[in-house]
Amino acid sequence: MENRTKHLFLTPLCLGAGLCLATVGHAQDDRPLIEPDVTPTPVTEALIDTENFEIAAFVGVLNIEDFESSLLYGGKLTYHLSESFFFEAGVGFAEGGETSFEKLAGNVEVLTDSERDYSYYNINLGYNVLPGEAFLTENYAFNTNFYLIAGAGATDFAGDTRFTLNAGAGYQVLLTDSVSVHLGVRQHYYRIDVLGAEKTSMNTEVSTGLSVFF
Amino acid sequence: MPIAILMFLMFLPAQSWGGWLWGQADEDVAQVQVTEPFIAWRTGPATGYPVFHTSEKGEWLTILQRKTSWIKVTDSRGRAGWIAVADIAQTVDATGNPVDLQVPDFESFGNRRVEAGLMMGEFDGAAVTAGYGGFWMTRNLSAELWASQILGSASEIRMVNANLVHQPFPHWRVSPFFTLGVGHIWVDPKATLAQPEERDNSIGHAGLGIRAYITDRYFIRAEVKDYKVFTTRTTNEEATEWKIGLSIFF
Repeated sequence: MENRTKHLFLTPLCLGAGLCLATVGHAQDDRPLIEPDVTPTPVTEALIDTENFEIAAFVGVLNIEDFESSLLYGGKLTYHLSESFFFEAGVGFAEGGETSFEKLAGNVEVLTDSERDYSYYNINLGYNVLPGEAFLTENYAFNTNFYLIAGAGATDFAGDTRFTLNAGAGYQVLLTDSVSVHLGVRQHYYRIDVLGAEKTSMNTEVSTGLSVFF
Repeated sequence: MPIAILMFLMFLPAQSWGGWLWGQADEDVAQVQVTEPFIAWRTGPATGYPVFHTSEKGEWLTILQRKTSWIKVTDSRGRAGWIAVADIAQTVDATGNPVDLQVPDFESFGNRRVEAGLMMGEFDGAAVTAGYGGFWMTRNLSAELWASQILGSASEIRMVNANLVHQPFPHWRVSPFFTLGVGHIWVDPKATLAQPEERDNSIGHAGLGIRAYITDRYFIRAEVKDYKVFTTRTTNEEATEWKIGLSIFF
């Protein structure tokens, strides 16, 4: 009788315990203790935000040969080919003043008002010659670039469009990885024959701009 | 019960916004694990910037953004710096596979589908500035659209062209090509000339040139084209143009 009772209780107990051990063993094989809720993400080109384009607005002063200095404003679009080279396309707008001849002679007008509107576009190749850092405080530095740039385009002034070469240099301070400040000097050259004989007109631009990478 | 369903439906948009607000929806973070003995961090995206830190094998890095061939990363301790794309290409992602980053090379140049560029040169003695875009139908044949501005001492000329380009040896690093096309030209004489006369004409052209692959996704292109301007007068005009410029491909 005692034997039978033992048998009755022990058999299911042993079976149950064995089953439990089996399941525990099984669980340890396959599943981690805590099931992660995320699926692993494959890293591809599409997942990475690439910022090689830069768009900028600038203001400055343009010295128009024979026609005084003027406020200059415009925009630029830049594409960074590599860490060193970049393409830049720019447009700028200014207004020519009076020649000294017009001022002295009084009632003379060399150009009409609409002919004094000065606009240019250019396409340039730039080279970051001195990448660097500017240290604001002990713990904070801005990345900077000193670049040389040159290119060609056209200037619309005094009633005609003229082929224009330009060359200059700039200093860029990256406030963040996406926003930067530019300071630049540029010389524009074109041939003009408005005041008698044809000559090379040299126009100096000094400007400052704000740019955003995208 | 209907009230409960109504309430549930009313809050449905809020539930979906919630996910967006907390950023749990499709906010995929690009994380990679270093497999090389170490990789160097620089303070800026160029070789000129100093190395200030290195990551060891097994460390996980989070990718923030890319500029040209540099990638900005952060690590678990919140440091941030720039790593060369070639180094990131040696890492593995959470699935255990190498990171899928294509560094454009000569092979991708041969398989390009789209190219675009800017060129400058001389058109019949006057300065020409031109831009173009091209689409490759096969490895040998492409179609292009051009816009040019020609600024001479006597006139300003604007020109648009459509042309076909044939490249007999696409696998050459410096590869010649031939081109045929048609277009339209607008001539605007200078205001200071005695008898300014505006005119526009159809044009046809044939040319030859070369492309030379440099590195990454850019190449140099140079070409000579011979233009025939179809005028309403008894004789047609001819002009020869040469240009050189830089192009990119995708």
